[in-house]
Amino acid sequence: MDKCIACGECAAKCPKKVTDTFNAGLATRKAIYVEYPQAVPLKYAIDAGSCIYLKNGKCGFCAKVCPTKAINFEEKPVSVTLQVGSVVLAPGFSTFDPQKLDTYQYSQYKNVITSLEMERLLSATGPFNGHLVRPSDHREPKKIAWLQCIGSRDINRCDHGYCSSVCCMYAVKEAVIAKEHSAEPLDTAIFYMDMRTYGKEFESYYKRAEEEKGVRFLRTRVHTILEDRNTQDLVLRFVDEDGKLIDERFDMVVLSVGMETSKELAALARRLEIELNADNFAATDCFSPVKTSRDGIYVCGAFQEPKDIPYSVMEASAAACWAEADLAPARGTLTKTKTFPEERQVADEEARIGVFVCNCGTNIGGIVNVPEVAEMAKGLPGVTYVEENLFTCSQDSQEKIKDIIEKKGLNRVVVAACTPRTHEALFQETLRDAGLNKYLFEMANIRNQCSWVHSKEKDAATAKAKDLVRMAVARTRLINSLGQPTISVEPSALVIGGGIAGMTSALGLADQGYQVYLVEKEGQLGGNARALLSTWKGDNVGERLAEMIARVTGHQRIAVHTATSVKASSGFIGNFETVVSGGGGDKVLRHGAVVVATGAEEYKPKEYLSGRDPRVFTHLQLDQAIAAGDPRLDSADTVVFIQCVGSREEERPYCSKVCCTHSIKAAIRFKERKPDSQVFIIYRDIRTYGQREYLYKEAREKGVIFIRYDLDEKPEVSDKGDTLAVVVRDHVLGRKIELHANLLVLAAAIVPRDNETLAQMFKLSCNSDKFFNEAHAKLRPVEFATAGIFLAGMAHYPKPIEESIAQAAAAASRAAVTLSKESITVEGVVSHVQQFMCRACGECERACPFNAIAVQEVEEGLRAAVVKEALCKGCGMCAVACPTGAASVRHFGDRSVLTMVETAFAAEA
Amino acid sequence: MSGEFTPKIIMFACNWCAYSAADLAGVSRFQYPPNLRIIRVMCSGRINPNFILKGFENGADGVLVAG
Amino acid sequence: MKSDNSRKVQGSVMVVGSGIAGMQTALDLADSGFYVYLVEKSPSIGGVMAQLDKTFPTNDCAM
Repeated sequence: MDKCIACGECAAKCPKKVTDTFNAGLATRKAIYVEYPQAVPLKYAIDAGSCIYLKNGKCGFCAKVCPTKAINFEEKPVSVTLQVGSVVLAPGFSTFDPQKLDTYQYSQYKNVITSLEMERLLSATGPFNGHLVRPSDHREPKKIAWLQCIGSRDINRCDHGYCSSVCCMYAVKEAVIAKEHSAEPLDTAIFYMDMRTYGKEFESYYKRAEEEKGVRFLRTRVHTILEDRNTQDLVLRFVDEDGKLIDERFDMVVLSVGMETSKELAALARRLEIELNADNFAATDCFSPVKTSRDGIYVCGAFQEPKDIPYSVMEASAAACWAEADLAPARGTLTKTKTFPEERQVADEEARIGVFVCNCGTNIGGIVNVPEVAEMAKGLPGVTYVEENLFTCSQDSQEKIKDIIEKKGLNRVVVAACTPRTHEALFQETLRDAGLNKYLFEMANIRNQCSWVHSKEKDAATAKAKDLVRMAVARTRLINSLGQPTISVEPSALVIGGGIAGMTSALGLADQGYQVYLVEKEGQLGGNARALLSTWKGDNVGERLAEMIARVTGHQRIAVHTATSVKASSGFIGNFETVVSGGGGDKVLRHGAVVVATGAEEYKPKEYLSGRDPRVFTHLQLDQAIAAGDPRLDSADTVVFIQCVGSREEERPYCSKVCCTHSIKAAIRFKERKPDSQVFIIYRDIRTYGQREYLYKEAREKGVIFIRYDLDEKPEVSDKGDTLAVVVRDHVLGRKIELHANLLVLAAAIVPRDNETLAQMFKLSCNSDKFFNEAHAKLRPVEFATAGIFLAGMAHYPKPIEESIAQAAAAASRAAVTLSKESITVEGVVSHVQQFMCRACGECERACPFNAIAVQEVEEGLRAAVVKEALCKGCGMCAVACPTGAASVRHFGDRSVLTMVETAFAAEA
Repeated sequence: MSGEFTPKIIMFACNWCAYSAADLAGVSRFQYPPNLRIIRVMCSGRINPNFILKGFENGADGVLVAG
Repeated sequence: MKSDNSRKVQGSVMVVGSGIAGMQTALDLADSGFYVYLVEKSPSIGGVMAQLDKTFPTNDCAM
C-alpha cells in the first residue's frame, strides 16, 4: 500500500467491471479501484471477490502495468491482537432495503430509486457528474416524487417502528437541490405523514423550500405505484386531504429509506457482549447516552439511534470524553513526540536552492519532459543543485534529500511534483530532519495542475512546468525561516452555566484531571432539570440530578460558584482571564478554555388563558404539579394539550424539539392513572423522532386522541366556568368541535436567554433566533469560531437531556484537546505589524475574521495594532486592509507573491 | 504558437478551496488549456488590488481570483 | 467514569468505524494524548457522508 501512488494505471488496464457500490449501484467500476477520487487514503484496492487473478489465477494486468510494483497478490488477511484501554463503536448504519416492500416495486421499476441513489445522481462526482437524469432513459425528469417513511414508522411491513430522524430533512434538501440542477422547471412533491424538521435552522429550511422554491408537500401515504410500460413513467395513487382518490404521474420516484442496523453489526455487538434494544441499536440511558451496557465500551452515531451528522459528531466527541476520563492516568504513555535536530541559521547565507523534479512514475514524466525542466532549473539564479527522481516522495528519496541538503549545504528546497495539499508536510519533515526550518520549502505543482490536466499537450505542459518551477524558485529566494511561537496553556476551564449541560462538561474535564470553575448565576445548581419529572425513557430526573450535583460539589477539581455571574473576560485560547462577580465580590479566574452552557428557558405564554387561569399549565408547571402531588391532576376527566405554543410561528419560527415527546409522555401518564379520562393532543406535526416514536404509538393505543390544526386556524380557548372550552377544527371530520377540558397543558416554546451579553464579551455570534452559533453546523457543532471557546446544551438550540449531555461531554472533549497540552505551537504563517508605520486606524481589526488583531496601547501614549498569534490564521485580510503597509503576513509578503506574478510567463517574455 | 490569440491567465487560488479544487481537477483528469498559472495564497482575502494590476503589468491577459 | 488506579490502564483506544463519528472520536483521542487504532472494513475512510451530495440545512457540499 505504501508504494501505491494512485496513478490509476491498474484500473485503466483491469478488464473486470463490477457494480460500483459507492455510487449506490448506479455505475460500474473496475475490480481494482479507489472508492472515489477524494478517497483517503488515496490507494487502489483489489475487490477480492471480483478480481479475475484472485479467482482464477490468470490476468494480473494490473501488476504488470503498476509502475511502483505495489501490487502483491500473495497478501493474505492477518489477525492482529490489540491491547487497548477502551473501545468506541462508530460503525454507522445500513439503509433500509426497499425490495422487501412490494408496494413500491423498487426492483422492477427502473425509475423508482432510493434516496441514497438520489444523492449520487445529484452529486458532481456521481455517475452523471451531477447532471440530473432518470435511470431508465437518461432523460431529464420534469416531475419527481419523494415518499417518506420507507422502512421507518412501520411495524406492519418492515418491523421498524422507529422514526429514522433524518429523512424529512434530506428529502426537502434533495428536492431543493434537484430543482437547482434542472434547466427546465422541475416539479417536486414530498408525500409525508409528519414533517419532522425539528433541528436548528430546519424549520426555516422547510418553509423556504415550500414558499420560495415551490416544493409541494402532501400529507398522505401513497398506496400504489404503477408503471406506464411505454414511457416508464410512474403513476402514484393516493387519497388527498379531502378524501379524494387521485392518480398523479411522475417521471421518477425517490424512496426516502430509513436507517437500520445490519445483521453483521448486530452479530458484532453480540460478540462484544453489549446489549442491544429491540430495534438492534446499542442500548444506552439518557444520562450516559454514549455508554454501552459494558464498561469501557462506548458507542456513537447512528448505531445508538438514527441521527444526523452534527449529533453523531457530538456523540463521537462525547465518547472520546468518557474514554479519556477512564484512561486519564495513561494519557501520553503510548504516544510519541518526534524530535528534530537543532535548526541551522540561514538568514545571512546566500540562497543555495536544491530543486528536485519528480517523474511520479510516468504521471509527470510521461507527459512533461522532466530532463528539460531539470536542465532549465540549473540555470535559475540561486539554484545550486538539481536532481530528477522517479518518485520524490518515496522513503529512500527522503533519505537522499536529507543527505544532499547536508552535503551540498542547501538552505532552501523546491520540489516539483504533485500538490502541497497532500505532500508539503512530508517534505517539510525531511527538511527539519536535515536541520532546516520547515518554511524554507516550496512546491511546484507540475502533476495535479499540469501533467494531469494537459495530458494531450506535451510541449505546452513542459513549458508550463518550467514556468511553475521558475516561479517556485523565484519565490523561494525570498522566503525565510519562520519561528513558530508557542503559547503556554493554563490547564483549567471556565464553565458558564450550572445546569445539566454545564455540570456534564465540568465533570468531563475534572475527571480527566483539569481544574474547572463552574459558574452559575442562580443560587443552586441544576437549571431547568430541577423542574423536570422524567426523561422520555423514564429515568427519574430528580434522582439523577441529585447524584450529579453531589458529584460536582464533591469533586476536588471543581470549584462551584453559585449566585455568580461573568463580568468581563480577556485573553485567548490557553490563556483567558475572566472576572466573575458573586456574593464574595469580584474574583479573577485564569483558565485555558471556556464552555458556554447557559441554557434556555420556557416561554411564558400570553395565549390560551395562560397565567390567567389556574387550570392552564405549561410543561414545566405540569411536571412541578405532578411532583407536588396536585390533586386536580388525578381527578381530571378531560385533559387537552396544545402543541407549538409560541413555536413555529412568525415571531419564533423554529421548532422547540422537545415538546411533542414531553406532551405525549405526560398524556400517557394521565391515561395510565385514569384510563377512562379523555386526553387530547392538538398538534401540527408530531415530531417524536427516533425511538420516541414508540411513545406516540403507545399513546394512540392507550386512547389518546390526536387532532391536527393549522397555523391559520389555531384552537380557541374560553372559560366556561366548570371547564375550559377548546374549539378546534378536526381534520378528519372536517368541522369544528368543542372540547371541555378540566386541565389545559400548553407545550410552550423554549426561548433563548439573554445571550447578547456573553456574545459581546467573548465575541461570539448568535443566529436570528438568538441562539448561539456553532463554528460549523455539521462538523464543529460544539465549538465557537473563536478558538478555545465551546458550546453545549440549550444555549445552542432546544434539546432533550440526553442530547445536552452528549453535547456537553463533547465540549469537554474538545476543550481537553487544548488543555492536555502544556503549550500550543502556532503556525508561523501569521500576520505581523511594523509598529512605527501603524497609525492605529483599526482597519485591520475590522477586517480580521478571527479577532486576532486589535488596536491597543502598546506603551504609554502609543496606540498600535497588535497581533494575537494564537488566533491568527494567516489569511492576510489585515494586510490588504492596512492603508500604510504596516500589517503584513509572514511567508506571503507582497514581494514573495509578486515575484511569482513577474516570473509566471517569463519564458515568452 | 499559432496566430490565434491565446490569453495568458494568472489565477490566485485560496489554499483551502480553489487550490484544492484545481488539484481535484487533476485527480479527475479534467483537461483545460495550458495557459493558466496558479499562485497559491492562504486566503483570497490576501489579494491586494495591486496584485491584480501587477498581473496585467507582467503580461497577463486575465487575472482570476478564486476562493 | 472512574478509573481503577490499582490496575494499569492502557493509553490506547480502538475505534470501530471511520465515518464522520469514528473519525471525530479518533481525532479527539489522538489530539489529547491517546494512541488510536482506527478500524475500518472498506478501503477508505469517510463513511456514508462521502456519498452524500449536499448537507442540510446549509447546502454545504458533503465532501
